[in-house]
Amino acid sequence: MDKDFSSRRRRDLIIAAVLAAIAALVPLFVKDVYVQNIMILTLMYAALSQSWNILSGYCGQISLGHALYFGLGAYTTALLFMKFGVPPWFGMIAGGLISAAIAMALGYPCFRLGGHYFAIATIVIAEIALLLIQNWDWAGAALGIDIPVRGDSWLKFQFTRSKLPYFYFALVLACVAWFVTWWLEDSKWGFWWRAVKDNPQAAESLGVDVFNSKMGAAAVSAFLVAVGGSFYAQFVSYIDPESVMGFQFSLLMALPAVLGGIGTLWGPALGAVILIPLTELTRSYIGGSGRGVDLIVYGSLIILISLALPRGLVSLFSSRKGAAR
Amino acid sequence: MTALLETRGVWQRFGGLVANSDVSISVGRGEIVGLIGPNGAGKSTLFNLIAGVLPPTQGSIWFDGEDVTRMPAAERCQRGVGRTFQVVKSFETMTVVDNVIVGALVRNTVMREARRKAHEVLEFTGLAARAGVLASDLVPAEKRRLEVARALATEPKLLLLDEVLTGLTPTEAQTGVALVRKVRDAGITVLMVEHVMEIVMPLVDRAIVLDLGKVLVEGKPADVVRDPKVISAYLGDRHAQSA
Amino acid sequence: MTTETIIQSLASGLLMGLLYGLIAVGLALIFGLMDVVNFAHGEFLMIAMYATFFLFAFFAIDPLLSAPLVAAALFVFGALIYLLIVRFAMRAKANAGMVQIFATFGLAIVMRGLAQLLFTPDYRSVTHSWLGGKTVSIAGIFLPEPQLVGALVSIAAFAGLYFFINRTDFGRALEATREDPGAVALVGIDKNRVFALGWGLGAALVGLSGAIMAVFFYIYPDVGASFALIAYVTVALGGFGSVFGAFAGGIVVGLVEATTALVLPPSLKSVGIYAVYLLVVFIRPRGLFGSM
Repeated sequence: MDKDFSSRRRRDLIIAAVLAAIAALVPLFVKDVYVQNIMILTLMYAALSQSWNILSGYCGQISLGHALYFGLGAYTTALLFMKFGVPPWFGMIAGGLISAAIAMALGYPCFRLGGHYFAIATIVIAEIALLLIQNWDWAGAALGIDIPVRGDSWLKFQFTRSKLPYFYFALVLACVAWFVTWWLEDSKWGFWWRAVKDNPQAAESLGVDVFNSKMGAAAVSAFLVAVGGSFYAQFVSYIDPESVMGFQFSLLMALPAVLGGIGTLWGPALGAVILIPLTELTRSYIGGSGRGVDLIVYGSLIILISLALPRGLVSLFSSRKGAAR
Repeated sequence: MTALLETRGVWQRFGGLVANSDVSISVGRGEIVGLIGPNGAGKSTLFNLIAGVLPPTQGSIWFDGEDVTRMPAAERCQRGVGRTFQVVKSFETMTVVDNVIVGALVRNTVMREARRKAHEVLEFTGLAARAGVLASDLVPAEKRRLEVARALATEPKLLLLDEVLTGLTPTEAQTGVALVRKVRDAGITVLMVEHVMEIVMPLVDRAIVLDLGKVLVEGKPADVVRDPKVISAYLGDRHAQSA
Repeated sequence: MTTETIIQSLASGLLMGLLYGLIAVGLALIFGLMDVVNFAHGEFLMIAMYATFFLFAFFAIDPLLSAPLVAAALFVFGALIYLLIVRFAMRAKANAGMVQIFATFGLAIVMRGLAQLLFTPDYRSVTHSWLGGKTVSIAGIFLPEPQLVGALVSIAAFAGLYFFINRTDFGRALEATREDPGAVALVGIDKNRVFALGWGLGAALVGLSGAIMAVFFYIYPDVGASFALIAYVTVALGGFGSVFGAFAGGIVVGLVEATTALVLPPSLKSVGIYAVYLLVVFIRPRGLFGSM
């Protein structure tokens, strides 16, 4: 058993490394900016969904308000940069830490709530934050922030001539989120989280600190999502409250993990790789005619996958079920 | 030598309902004690008070020389109280061995050691062959066994068993009884709640009978089963008693 | 701020709250029956509003008259959605909760897409109706007629629902199924039929509220989203699954919204609702009327 187990862990790590290496080489052959853009978004969603998965998939606390942390990351970075000239790298760390702290502060009262009451509390809190930012003039209110372009530089994390630096950063981010999950999966935290998800009362009787398990998951999850948010702000160089903090975005972030396989190591990445290109392609090829056909295709796909594969796409690879095995 | 577990004048009220009234029991080190009584006698409530699910309305609970009355369940587990649940609460999406690892993490911080400990316990409880199976795929008797294995992995001084033998086939019950003996032989004190007397009487060193929230009789199993008070409590002849 | 302004806005808050209750009650009914949160609830409202609009635009039927028709159409629609989608989502052996959330979320997206495709993203409105734009004055307080009638319809609908659940065979079957689906099968009630009817009834109630909303609200493909969130909060505030709770929750939401609008800028009026929701569940984790 032990041998099987450690060899499976090693295999996961090797597969991830190979996939990351292949991904890193792709831009050498694919020069099309449109395609590169899709790849960057795919990697970003993989990272975000992987982070969401830590709190909601592993620890079982379904958050439908993670856009809050994404928005906090984006706004912290953008505001620090624009108002005080703080390099985005610091903004990224600051945004991550602020988000983690806020996630814990909110977790304190919210983790007492069960199921749907918790999920709705997460929506409502994100929605309050959204409304506040929309009315906060200093932060650009509903119009958002146009991040001033000050030329290509790694220090300022701005690149106008090529999208490649963004691509590689997104790749690193996706890898970090994956690796953190991989690492925590076989740790006390990973086991505590899954125990808390499956049965908190039994977990407690086995010495699991249920409350702090949730707090830990919330902090890690929020930190990583906020880093994603900061990245996004730099990448698109324009943010507005609705697009980074809206309810829809919270659901979109959860979607790859849910369709790929919630609470599994590979689910979020797999879900993102299939879902995001599909979204973007339907949007530009069918959506171009306006008229919502892209939404119809996209929505039908969500219905079909969630009905046909409740364990997610990873269950197609029957011998490998990520964390579920 | 002090008892391992002691409840001193424990009361539990739920609104107007008195589930436990002035219950004082003790469990000595190395004993197998049976806590029995008819339905609604307050066994489960007392069990939950001891496990730390909720604090008693009044009275105190002492474990291993320490007042644990208000200590949460997770901390009691660290002190050495392990428990099972009457309605099994397996971690359904986790494998059998992963279920047990959760328990083993109480005393082993290094994953590799926790994993080894878990396999050891699975061997001990006869579940080794099922280690890689999802808990949701176990048959009911195996799930009961997993409950015991998980609790044992926490290396408890006191193991609380909540109706682990109820509802099993005679063969399964026999294997269960053998397992409880084995646990005691490993130096672990056992307090077991059972509804059906026949199953536990041959197994326990001492039986405590609860009725209407109070300790009715306490003593050697052979004496207890013959006690007219116990017989009438089980037959439901309450009028003779409560007078 | 004068006393009149306060009374005036509380009165309109109350009316709006009764309507919120009506919008939300279908959600509560379905949740109570089978533990499913319909994430396409807002889109149900949206199509009800469109249905009302087209009946008005093509056949010049006043929303007040078309309301029963719309409710009936939504009944069929809701039952079909159950039979075609939700039934399968409930069979999921793993992650049932997530499957339900995202199957209905997918449905919401499809419905929005269809609305854009068939009805275009343009804003529509019922330009003239018996009630639209009129107000009545009661004891010096001006009340808009659409909201007033909406509130009355809501009260009537809740009374009818109460009667229905407590006094009719189907209502009792509904109640029994909600308490113990397994046992119900034993006495020969077809669970799927009850659930389908439950979805139909829930959707019909949304249909009713949609017809009234169409009188005084713009109609566009995304209109459901903002009301859906209010509906979730309303249902959760009342206590998930409690039909009476949705009624009370709606009133609370309406009054809180009106009060917030008195002190904060209009764009922040929802903040009050959300804050009250949090306050309530932090104190009572199962809402105002949720059973433990």
